[in-house]
Amino acid sequence: MRNKIAISLFYIIVCICLTGCYNARELDQLGISLIMGIDIEDGKILLTAEIVDPAYTTESSSTIQGSSVKYVQGSGNTVLEALRDITLKFDRRIYGAHNKVLIFGEEVAKLGLVSHIDELFRDKEQRESSYILIAKGAKAYEVMGITNGLETIPANYILDLIQNVKYNPKAVVVSIIDYLRHYYHEGHHPVAGVIEKIKKMEIDELGESTGTKNYELTIIGSAIFKKDKLRGYLNGNDTKAVNFILGHIERSIITFPTPTNVFEEGQSEIGKQQLSSVIVIKSKVKNDVEMEGDRLILKTKVDLRTSLGEFNGKIDLTKEENLNKIAEACSKTAEINIKSAVKKVQKEYGVDIFGFGIEFHRKYPKQWEKIKDNWDEIFAEADFEIEVKTHIIRTGLINNPPIVE
Amino acid sequence: MIQVISKSISENKKRLIDKFNNTSDFVTYEFQNLSKIKMMICYIEGFIDRNILDRDILESLILNLKNRKDIREFIMTSKINEVYAIDEVVNEILYGKAVLLVEGEKIGYALELNKWDKRAVEQPQSESVVRGPKEGFIEDISVNKVLLRRKIRNNNLVFEDLRLGKQTQTTVSLAYIRGIVNEEVLKELKTRLDRIDTDAILESADIEELIEENPKSLIETVTNTEKPDIVAAKILEGRIAIFIDGTPHVLIVPRLFIEGIMSSEDYYIRSYFSSFLRILRTIALLITIYLPGAFVALQLYHQEMIPTVLLISAAGAREGVPLPVTVEVLLMIITLELTKESGLRLPKNVGSTVSIVGTLVLGQAAVQAGLVSALTVILISITALSEFIIPQLVHGIVIYRLIVTLCGGFFGVFGVTCAFLIITMQIVSLESFGVPFAWPIAPINKTGLKDTFIRVHRKHLIYRPKAIAKRNVRRRIPPKGE
Repeated sequence: MRNKIAISLFYIIVCICLTGCYNARELDQLGISLIMGIDIEDGKILLTAEIVDPAYTTESSSTIQGSSVKYVQGSGNTVLEALRDITLKFDRRIYGAHNKVLIFGEEVAKLGLVSHIDELFRDKEQRESSYILIAKGAKAYEVMGITNGLETIPANYILDLIQNVKYNPKAVVVSIIDYLRHYYHEGHHPVAGVIEKIKKMEIDELGESTGTKNYELTIIGSAIFKKDKLRGYLNGNDTKAVNFILGHIERSIITFPTPTNVFEEGQSEIGKQQLSSVIVIKSKVKNDVEMEGDRLILKTKVDLRTSLGEFNGKIDLTKEENLNKIAEACSKTAEINIKSAVKKVQKEYGVDIFGFGIEFHRKYPKQWEKIKDNWDEIFAEADFEIEVKTHIIRTGLINNPPIVE
Repeated sequence: MIQVISKSISENKKRLIDKFNNTSDFVTYEFQNLSKIKMMICYIEGFIDRNILDRDILESLILNLKNRKDIREFIMTSKINEVYAIDEVVNEILYGKAVLLVEGEKIGYALELNKWDKRAVEQPQSESVVRGPKEGFIEDISVNKVLLRRKIRNNNLVFEDLRLGKQTQTTVSLAYIRGIVNEEVLKELKTRLDRIDTDAILESADIEELIEENPKSLIETVTNTEKPDIVAAKILEGRIAIFIDGTPHVLIVPRLFIEGIMSSEDYYIRSYFSSFLRILRTIALLITIYLPGAFVALQLYHQEMIPTVLLISAAGAREGVPLPVTVEVLLMIITLELTKESGLRLPKNVGSTVSIVGTLVLGQAAVQAGLVSALTVILISITALSEFIIPQLVHGIVIYRLIVTLCGGFFGVFGVTCAFLIITMQIVSLESFGVPFAWPIAPINKTGLKDTFIRVHRKHLIYRPKAIAKRNVRRRIPPKGE
């Protein structure tokens, strides 16, 4: 009997999970879209899609850049209308299930993302894992189509940039699902990635001048939202500090001045700061809030396990106390950076993008009910305490730098 | 009414010729020896060794026989049956004996002198191995019995002979080892063989289809093999072999599903490698049945589940292909079967032409002409390769694959999943002579699993398959501490 129930349950689950495949779509009827860009122009939504031309995979001339994709645009009062607008200009149905990146023009972001682009979150084809990027100071279609990597398809170039963030967390990686989660969270405002067109340093290859303007893309920095409205941008270093608090800094590096008081034979180069870097192997972050009377204190404890990545200075690294001093210097630098970034967010934007509101809600659920509507003002006024603890657990392949005998 | 042998030779001769409908290959030879005793020898031409008949039988009978009562002393052969009825005489002659009749005696002497042309024992083409015995069965049942007896020199190895087929009167022999064989299976097999009511047993399949529990199943529940070492190994596990005169294929019952992914060589090579091969065959089994169907389903209904890069190249390959993907894949599957079948029946030198036509024309040209996408060709090639490494299950696989492909084309992954469930349930529900077909996987048996998808070291293969050998289940008793 139990077996029968189990089997019938299994059937029901399978049926529920896998139905909905009544309409077959041949691959040669689909226009596979890899990036969508959303803008507002003349009060209408302008949708730009990067459609991959699959024929390029079979052609031998696939090395020519740009030929692998086509750009289509449609406009309408809603996103759906814009999408349908494309159908009368482009021969294939736009297939959005492989959209990797959504790029929003600055104007849309300022007007509010969720209210304008509900369709992209509602459509069953769209992936909740596609990344959100805000075109900084530009229209979305202005940044599309620029490629400077080795990938033939511009979308893959952008996607690879996003995947590289783990080595250098001066940018944020935010997918639709992350964004919406923070959007619905009380006490945690969303951030989103930024994409910016920058002029490329012209390298005169073989003395030939290309003449045309060369651009490349960068995703450095982050965009701060209040609910779904763009408030402003953070630069790369501040974004890294945000990632510190959010706990996304594994594999990143911290650069700090080499402590001078441990030099064995005086300071050789006075005035010239020597810098060293560590690579973060593991980080543990604990955010907390505390009420002391009327004052609210935001507390962050960061515990880093690091490996020495680069060292300049004359210190005997085989001694543990020296390593501890280096670790201390690293902690100090990190603390200063984080503090300044938090201060900037508090003063300039006044939105809690770190999620301290959630901590407050957890700790003081009763007070939260009273203050939740003006949490952002309270956050902006709150004190911030940071404590970074660094452990250097590895020194790389060598112990002492070559200059130390 | 039984017709007894008459005292008159001419009367007997008349009756016998009458019984054989005056057939031309029936020989009766009447002669008189030096003591004037009239005798007749009758046999079927080509069934007996004439040299021995002349040299060892007739010579001594003609020269030395004085009194017909002493006839047994002058027949120089080791196997003589005495027969009394005309029908018995006919029977003995049909199985290759020469029957000697003496004037004035009501007894006939059947002499075992049979000798006919037979194929030499050679390596079976359908089951070639790299390591292991290379000999295979031939069409003659007595040779086949000897081949098995040479593997198992044990007085408990029993052959039980039967005659089946109303017209053909084929000799069928059950071989098993008394003490190991599953008696219930043996009893059941005998009842089923008794129930067989058929004209002709020309090949093992004539019996196979009639004794199976599930003749409608796509997968057969009776093993057939041409190799004595396989038969020996199987009957040592408690199974029963059915030898059939006139065919080199020996049937073995009961069969387990898992035997389909096994090969005799698995036991002759290192256990790690044979385990690897068996896992490979299991994967191949899944690939060869489900890959075309899953491919069609994903391409038609679930493009979002294909990795982007693969999707783009798949789409690139499909650009300009005029047929829907389901039709395209079905077409290629049918082409594969065409190539296989045409190569199989043709003489060898023409067969190579077929393979060239198949690979070049259908593979290269179809892709270049844009009729078929390159991805589909690759896919069907993988399917075919996977099929060829599990030759035992081929018949089921081909039909299953067609069903799964259609399900995938019409109902997507949902259809493939349903097909998977139905196929699995069907296989699991089969039985072979009362033994669950999917044993030891369903019902699960821990000791049985040691020799399924993996083969553990011989040291640990202590038990015979417990579902088959019910009584004497231990192959050996391991010493303490092992």
